[in-house]
Amino acid sequence: MMTKKILLSFPQKSAGQPMAMELIKTYHLDFNILKAFIDDNIKGTLLLEIKGEEADIEAGIVFLRQNQIGVKDIQSVVEVDENKCVSCGACTAVCAVGALEMTADWSLVHHDDKCLECMLCVKACPMRAIHAVI
Amino acid sequence: MAKSYQEINEKIARGEAVVVTAEEVIGIVKERGVKEAAEYVDVVTTATFGPMCSSGAFLNFGHSDPPIRMGEITINGVEAYGGLAAVDTYLGATQPSKDRGIEYGGAHVIHDLIAGKEVHLVAKSQGTDCYPRTELDTWVKLEDLNEAYLFNPRNVYQNYNAAINGSSQRLYTYMGILQPNMGNITYSTAGELSPLLNDPLLKTIGMGTRIFFGGAQGHVSWMGTQFNTACPRDDKGYPQTPGATLALIGNMKEMDPKYIRGAVYEGYGASMFVGVGIPIPILNEEIMAFVAVENKDLYTNVIDYSVPKKAKPTLKKVSYAELRSGSVDINGKSIKTSPLSSLKMAREIAEELNNWIKKGDFFLQEPIQSFPMGNSLKGLEIKEGESR
Ligand code: SF4
Ligand code: SF4
Repeated sequence: MMTKKILLSFPQKSAGQPMAMELIKTYHLDFNILKAFIDDNIKGTLLLEIKGEEADIEAGIVFLRQNQIGVKDIQSVVEVDENKCVSCGACTAVCAVGALEMTADWSLVHHDDKCLECMLCVKACPMRAIHAVI
Repeated sequence: MAKSYQEINEKIARGEAVVVTAEEVIGIVKERGVKEAAEYVDVVTTATFGPMCSSGAFLNFGHSDPPIRMGEITINGVEAYGGLAAVDTYLGATQPSKDRGIEYGGAHVIHDLIAGKEVHLVAKSQGTDCYPRTELDTWVKLEDLNEAYLFNPRNVYQNYNAAINGSSQRLYTYMGILQPNMGNITYSTAGELSPLLNDPLLKTIGMGTRIFFGGAQGHVSWMGTQFNTACPRDDKGYPQTPGATLALIGNMKEMDPKYIRGAVYEGYGASMFVGVGIPIPILNEEIMAFVAVENKDLYTNVIDYSVPKKAKPTLKKVSYAELRSGSVDINGKSIKTSPLSSLKMAREIAEELNNWIKKGDFFLQEPIQSFPMGNSLKGLEIKEGESR
């Protein structure tokens, strides 16, 4: 068993829900909808956490892609741009779970597995080095 | 045995000067004692890289044909001062742009210029007999300008408060985002590596001191604004609250965009991260004893930023070692601490300055005038009445 976060983007006309049912039935995958967005009825975005056997997850992703659904692996909903980050530490002030932390040599590290997706760090970064993936 | 600036500069020229950072010197003094260390070490490099709002650039664009006396000036949509001579301006770091607000301000324009980018210059004028043009719209790069120098009226604060929020609302401040109910503490210092904390009584740093400024060789040009040498000090002379500040000057054309960066403090405004390194000549044992200071012996106050008064309450006096540990105990509760200035970059700057001196590319400049001690701060009184 493994758990993986994926970001699905699909044209509005291809309904997300039936596809999801298909994933459960055919590929024995459990999933959690972490976030759902609909952008001006043009496209929809779903952030899913899926759980299942590795082979089933892979097959499920192939199935989604065959149905014109964009699938992107997501480690975390926020990404730190290393070229912009100066390791000032301002973002660590608002990260309540320690997903953003200073190392012993005062560089910033991002533990994406701990992230709670509160998005506070995006606004806290004076260099605008953190952006939301979704 | 005392050393002179000239003797140290001669050693630098011969490639024999012993140069270490203000962090490295602590171990050397512990091992050899102050007396021997003062003989062995010639220069100690200090540095800081953090937000310094009171910053900006003087620019001269050269004359167009026909010429203009620039009145209203914007650069990439950021207003610059039009009250100087025809094509001179001052661009302040915190000035927000007309289109993007604080997300892109004067500091961002300055960074873009230093990075060699072309910027959009728009100017208007009434038109005069000698300057007939009334409008101008063009694109310029740093290399196209006659002069471009940073003149920052207040940089490298000697010590600064740590911030906390005692209210039940989240606060957006120049000390970063402060979580409600004393959720976190922020602080901004390079501590034992910080320039003015290594020379607390300004024995070697004064007008004319040559420095690392944004990657260029710049100078201390004056005392900084809100210069407070009358601040409370410990028995050795280290300030316990914000103390001295410096006004700095340096040629933008020699700077590196890595060390001058635009910054945004959410809900507060634009600011500029400035990289500064200051060499401290070890002239005698007294100066060596000062630079050997450690974070555990440097103190500041945790101040409640939720109180909308000039005099904000102090909750606790803490050492920089405690702040650096990651949490501070206040009223029995452990509160997370976070830095706002980059120690990593400050270390890089101290190393870079160190290399310049070792290679003989950078020489010490003795101050041509010392700054006053015992200088205190004035507030601003609000006076009633329409005319006086
Ligand atoms: S989104 Fe929230 S939890 Fe995740 S890294 Fe940013 S501050 Fe931390
Ligand atoms: S606030 Fe931004 S620049 Fe500072 S450490 Fe975090 S990501 Fe890096």
